[in-house]
Formats: sequence, C-alpha cells, structure tokens
Amino acid sequence: MNYRYILRRILIFIPTMFAISLIAFVISINAPGDPVEAFFEGTKGGKIGTESGSKIEGDKQALRHEMGLDLPVFYVTMTSLAKPDTFYKIGNQGERENLERLIGIYGNWDYIYHWYYSLKWLEKTSGSEVTLDSAVTSDFGEDSIKYVTEHFHHIALSLLLTNDTVEIRSKLNYLWSEYFRLEEKFGDNSFLKHNLTSLNLCSQSFLDMNADPTVWKNYVPSLHFYGYNQYHRWLFGDGNMFTGNGAQYCEGVVRGDFGKSYSTKLPVTDTISKALPWSVFFTLISVILAYIISIPIGVQAAAKRGSWFDRGSSVILFMLYSMPPFLMGIVLLVLLANPDTWNIFPSNGIEPATGIDPNLGWWDKTMIRLPYFILPIICYTYSSLAFLSRTVRVAMLEVNSQDFMRTARAKGLGDRLLYYRHGLSNALFPIITVFANVFPAAIGGSVVLEYLFGIPGMGQEILRAVQAGDFTMITAVFTLAGFMTLIGYLVADVLYSIADPRISFDKT
Amino acid sequence: MSDGKDIAIEQDESRFSFRKYSWRQFKKNKPALFAMYTLGLLVVIALLAPILANEKPLYAKYKGESLFPAFSFETNYRFTDESTGEEINLQLDIADWKRLELESVWWAPVPWSSTIPDKANRNYVGPSDPQRFVTATGDTLYISPRFKHVLGTTSNGTDVLSAVIHGTRTSLTIGLISMGIASIIGLFLGAVAGYFGDYRSRMRRGQFWFIVLSIPFAWFYGFSVRMFALKDSLEESGMSFLFQLLISILLFATVVTIFNFIGKKIARGKFLSSEIFVPLDSIISRGIEIMNSIPVLILIISLAALTKNESIVYVMVIIGLTSWTGIARFTRAEFLKIRTMDYIKAAEGMGFKEKRIIFRHALINGISPSLVYIAFGIAAAILIEASLSFIGIGVPDDVMTWGKLLNEGRGNFHAWWLILFPGLAIFVTVMVYNLIGEGLRDALDPKLKR
Repeated sequence: MNYRYILRRILIFIPTMFAISLIAFVISINAPGDPVEAFFEGTKGGKIGTESGSKIEGDKQALRHEMGLDLPVFYVTMTSLAKPDTFYKIGNQGERENLERLIGIYGNWDYIYHWYYSLKWLEKTSGSEVTLDSAVTSDFGEDSIKYVTEHFHHIALSLLLTNDTVEIRSKLNYLWSEYFRLEEKFGDNSFLKHNLTSLNLCSQSFLDMNADPTVWKNYVPSLHFYGYNQYHRWLFGDGNMFTGNGAQYCEGVVRGDFGKSYSTKLPVTDTISKALPWSVFFTLISVILAYIISIPIGVQAAAKRGSWFDRGSSVILFMLYSMPPFLMGIVLLVLLANPDTWNIFPSNGIEPATGIDPNLGWWDKTMIRLPYFILPIICYTYSSLAFLSRTVRVAMLEVNSQDFMRTARAKGLGDRLLYYRHGLSNALFPIITVFANVFPAAIGGSVVLEYLFGIPGMGQEILRAVQAGDFTMITAVFTLAGFMTLIGYLVADVLYSIADPRISFDKT
Repeated sequence: MSDGKDIAIEQDESRFSFRKYSWRQFKKNKPALFAMYTLGLLVVIALLAPILANEKPLYAKYKGESLFPAFSFETNYRFTDESTGEEINLQLDIADWKRLELESVWWAPVPWSSTIPDKANRNYVGPSDPQRFVTATGDTLYISPRFKHVLGTTSNGTDVLSAVIHGTRTSLTIGLISMGIASIIGLFLGAVAGYFGDYRSRMRRGQFWFIVLSIPFAWFYGFSVRMFALKDSLEESGMSFLFQLLISILLFATVVTIFNFIGKKIARGKFLSSEIFVPLDSIISRGIEIMNSIPVLILIISLAALTKNESIVYVMVIIGLTSWTGIARFTRAEFLKIRTMDYIKAAEGMGFKEKRIIFRHALINGISPSLVYIAFGIAAAILIEASLSFIGIGVPDDVMTWGKLLNEGRGNFHAWWLILFPGLAIFVTVMVYNLIGEGLRDALDPKLKR
C-alpha cells in the first residue's frame, strides 16, 4: 500500500471540506426572507395579533440572539467606508437592507443613523402603549385615538422600508399635514406633543441627510476583522471552539449540530436520522444488485466480442442508458401499478396506508413491504447497471488484448479463472468509480425517484425543505452531501491505489 | 512566396487530415449518422415551433383586411371595414380566432397554443376520445378534424402535441446554452492548467502578489458595490440579470487588469522583481476538485429556490456554471500531452505569443476529447432540466416542458398520452446526443475502434 499517497490525499481533503462548508454557509445566509420572521411565524401562530408590539420585538430580539444572527457574518469582511463596522447589529433584515440602500444613495452614515433612530422613535411614540394611555386621558375619543395611532405607526413603519427620496418626502409631508389637521381639531394634546418632537427630528435628519451626501465613500473599500462571527458559530458552536464546553444554543457543525429547522422547529439531525435509512437502504441494495448483474454481463460481452449476446446486450444497455430513471419509473407505474393495465404493484409509499403492526418481526415487515420496494429498486438499479456493464465491457476489452491474458489462456486456464481472476482484477476502475458514487447518493437520495414513488427518504426531505424555504435543512444536506462526496473520492482514490500501486502524486 | 506556402499546406492536407479522417470514421458509424439527422430534425422543429404550433392563424382575412396574427408583435390592431366603414379594434393576442368569422384563413399545422388551454376539452381528453368544440353561438359540437387534439390534452386542456413541439425548443436551448457556458469555462481553464502546468508560467513576484491582492478589490468593485443592482435585476428578469452580471464581471476583470499593470510597473528591487512560478495547474485542479465535490442537483435545487422569479435562464446558467469540470479535466489532460509535441515547440521557437499558441494552435487539436464530453453533457443537461420541471422546480408557468407534461401524467395514469409522447421525446433526444457522443468518441479515438 502506498501510505504516502493516502496521507497526502487525506491532507488535501481538509481544505476542500472547508471550501464546501463555506459554499453551504454562503447559500444559507443569502436565503430569501428573514429567518427570524420565518421561525417566529410558526412558533407564535395566531397569537401575534393579541400580543403587544414591544413584546414581540423583544421576543424576536431574543430569538435573533439565540440563532446567532446578531453577530458579524464572517471573520473578515470587505465593505465600503460608508458602512460602519457595527452595521450587523441592526437586527431586522428588511430595515437593514433598506439602510444599506440608503447608504448606497447618500453615503453619510451619521445622518442616516439619525434618520433611522428618529424614525424608530416616531414608530415608538406613535404606537406604544405609553402614549396610548396618556392620550386616553386627554380629549380624544376611543376610536379616533386608535385610528390616529395606527395610522401614524403604519406610516412610520413603511418609512423604515423606503429608500426613494421622493416617496420619503411625500410621506413626511403627509404626516405633517395630518399632524396639523389634528392639532387644529384637538389643540394641545400629550399624544400630539410626543409626536411633534419625533416628527421634527425626522424632518431635520432627513434634511441633513440630503444636504450633505458623501456618495464617494461607497467606492472606498474598508476591511473589518471579527473574531467571533456567524460562520465560526455555525461551524464550532457558541461554546469552546475545541471542546464544545459551555455551548448554550448550538454545538456547531463539527459536533453534528446543524440547528433547528425553520418549518418543523425540530433539530435537523432528527429529521435526517429518520429519512436517511430509507435512502441508504435503496442506494445500497441497488448498487449491490447492479454489481451482481452487470459484471457478468460486461465480462461475457467482452469475452465473446461481436457475438449476438454482445451486440444484443450492447443495444439494450445503450437504450437503458439513455432512459432517465424517472421516465422508466413512470412507465413501470403505468404498466404495472395501474388498474387499467396490470395492477400488480402498489403505486405509492413504502407500506400500506393503514400502517404496519409494529409488533411484527422484521421478516414479516419486509414481506409486507416487499411489493412496495420492487419498482423503486428496479429504477434505482438499472441506470448504474447500464453504466457499469458498458464500462466493464470496455475495460475488459482493453485487458483481454494484453499479453498476460494471452499467456494465461496459453497455459490453459479455464474461462472463469481467466476472466474473473486475471481479467477483472485489472479492470477494477469502473467498479470502484461506481462504488464512490454510493456515498453522496445515499445522503442526497434520488430526489426525483423518491418524489415519484413516495419514499420518505432524504430526497423528499430536500424537496420539502426547498419548497418551505427551510434553509437550515438545505445547508445541512448540502454540507453532508459534500462531505460524503469527498469521502467517496477518498475511498475511491485509496482503492485505486490499492488496485494499481503505480498511482501516486508524483506521476501526475 | 506566400502562395507557395499555401500550396504546400494544401497538399499536406490532401494527403492526411485528422479532421477528415475522423469525419469519415463518423460517417461509417450508421447509428451516429442517423442520430445526427434526427438532431437536425429536432433543431428544425425547435426553430419553427411558433409556426408549427400556434393558436393564432398564420394568415387570416377578416372583414376585407389581411392579417398575419402569428407573426405580429403588436397586440392591438385597428382598421376600417371597407364595406361598412366601421372602425374595428382587434386584440391580436387574445382574439378568439377559431370563432371569428374569417373570410379565409391558414392555420398553423397544430392550431393550438402550448400554454393557453382549450377549455372545452379539459380533464385529460385522449387522442381517440370524442373531443368537443364550442361554437360562437354556444353550441357544443364534435371537433372538426382540423382542430382535433391529435395527441390529446392535459388536465386543464392544453394541447399535448403543441406542448411537445414547444418543449423541444426549451430542451434544446437548455442543452445548448448551458453546455455553451460550461465549454467556455472548461476549455479555457483546462487549456491554461494543462499548457502552463505548475512550472511554465513565470511572473515577477511583485506582480503576482499584486494580482492576488487585486481579487478582493475586484470583488468589491464588481460585486459588493453593485449588490443591489444585481439583486434588483434578479427580481426583474433573467435577461437583465445576465446583463448586470456581465457588467460586474467586466468590472472585475478591469480591476484585475489595472492591478496587474501597476504591479508590473512597481515590481522593482531584487526581491519584488525576481521571477516565481505561478502554480496555475494546482490552483485550477483544486478548483475542479471542489466543484466536483458539490452535489450538483442539490445545489441547483437550492439555487432555484433562492431566485424568487422562476426563469428558464437561471436553470441554464446554473447548469452551465456547475458542469464545466469534466470538460476542463479532459482539456487539461489533452494539453499536458500537446504541450510536449513538436509543433508547439516549433511555434514557441518562432516566438509566437502564448495566447496565440494556446488558442490558435493547441486548442483546435485539444478540443476533440471535450467534444465527446460536451455531447454527453448536453444529454445530461436536458435530463436535469426534465427532472427539475418534473418535480416542479425552477421552470415558470408560461414555459412548457416535457418534464411538466410527464408530471401531469403522473397525476393520472389513465392518461397514457401524457407519458408516452413527452417520454418518447425525452428518450429520443437524450439517445440522439448519446449516440452522437459515442460516434464522436469512436471516430476521434481510433485506438478504441480496433
């Protein structure tokens, strides 16, 4: 065995894994929508309407902290001079994006921050319980208070998400006109007094922001370094980096904690451990079957080159090879699981809809499930079968024409010993290649086939996660699949180097 | 003098040209040749799809006015009826042509749209089932043979034949554009990695580090600054996103070029101006390895979920950006061989620039193994698109694809025509590309033939 080769192969594995985790992380932080909102929607359900605004805001802040979203994104970021290095502390994703756009337009962070701050204050003064209470004691009637506060509050909120100068100006003008109308109607009033100050502040900061724009700052890069950040937390958890001690909310990907799903609120690892066995089962069975069937076909076809068996199997395998598995699946379903034709197999799921008695032994369970397994296994198997037999045939053709095979035949070896011992062991490469593909396939499952046959495996979970925008799950699957692909390559390379000791890094 | 040289080259070619030899070999391969013709037919169908299947007539005469609705880009058409002097305003795009009183009309061979359903024939009407037609007066009749849905309809009444014809367009475009993107990236990177290797590209140390330094800056000016321009265009449409992306890439390249220039000028002094090897091969090979370790289908599915507006362009770009590694690997291996050959040595000896040697001399000879891969890659891209639209991801509603038809068929096993025809289309297209790939491999690699 070539230990040096294997060792170097493993060393290369680490940076590649790092790169993959980075790609997965980039996908997850670019996910559309605010993860806190997505998470919040489900947990609180219909109660949002009854809870007060500040309570919800506090809960969201806590959740944001729990999910680590109040941290900088990465160890190092290159932003513009216009953006402050503490920008990540602004929690709400919509507000943050709007502020970024404002920075792009004006570039003067000091004034923009004033504008943001006064808007926040306006939002508070126009909508909070305190002002509502004090207003109740004054001259307003119940209905008009509610109307006015909600109206002011609503506009203040929409201003937080507006970056168009003209639109902001018209909204501010509207607020002022409303204010004057009310002042005329109700005169001196604590609610209006509160809002006068914040409105004044808003107008002033808006004017400041427009008066002194420094757009050029957007085009000057500036570098920021952060020690503890979202990526670090995602990778190593919020406890000790190496031991994981003191972890409060997450233990980090290196310790197998991928976080909680946005949609089901369960740890992603639980979902995966439920779905994974099915994917692994179908992948493994299909690969074993493919080996059992395809190797003899390939060897025989190569041994009797040009015979009817060779030509016939070549044509059939080529057609199979061009047939996408889901098409094969749907054709099989229409032919064999259809009341109109032959209703031999069930068309969906992995067990009867009524469920299986959990007290049965595994053999009985398997016997009940067997009809559900047959069609999926055929579809899983045949595509790798076609690939494998075709490549085994080509590899064997190459081997058969070599001198050592002629020698072996000349010394009178039987066909079986000749082809399977001497020939096949020199045509192992395609067999290893297919084996390497088992690892990622087991994690990813076959999305299309699981969708078609209703198998509750990883493929279905991925599809569900994508449709529900569940990016914790997507990131987890992505990282795991990348990891398994790398393991597959590693195993394959090690096996290659065992099959052919001449392989080494120096030759390439 | 130059005439004599040309004649010499011509004579040489008439004796033996690898290209001619390969083409002869390819022509001997009957299935591959047949596949080539079938592909031609598919391309013609794809190009002529709007003429072959269109719910609007190709030519119609209405109240004395000659119209060409299928070829018109305008949606509104005003004219005066000559006989009555009446002003008529015709909505070309939504007019109910089949129920208008047209004086003469030429229909497209398939007079149905691939997206606008025929409401009278909803709920999976088969090719042999009685099909209905509702006249302008509201009577329901059997459909005339001219308007029959030859291959049946889907659940909402879309004509299957028309959908299959327009699906050809989608599939072939996807295959072509995504592999086009992949080949540009793959050929370029493969050629650079193979030709230069780790020890043939030399650069002053100062210049090299300046280029490395330029990358974050180029990223900043190309992408960070333009983040919202890119983001907004992504929500607008696929084409405008591509345009903005192109601008970003150009900016990126400009910044790198400027840094390169400055680096060249600045690299003085013993340390900075001493030449070092740029390990291009190692860098690109690691990139290929990382790219290969990414589960492509999962990446495509999650990226398709990231883009809010579904567009066929994204699917093409994503497939293109993720499937270049095979081409790059083959090209690299070929270039490793080519760079030791005599004609490259000769070209180097004549003092040609590296750019010219790589792209004019070596690439033409190094492209053949990639051609095989590209043919298989197109088949794979078509399959990915079909799978994606089969599970309902990434393809918008107003584009009809074979995968979508199959998914409809999955909902109703009784409707065999929804599985047979699009299934056959996918099978034939994939098989055609596979056959061409096989043919190319046999023709270009005489060793395998034996």
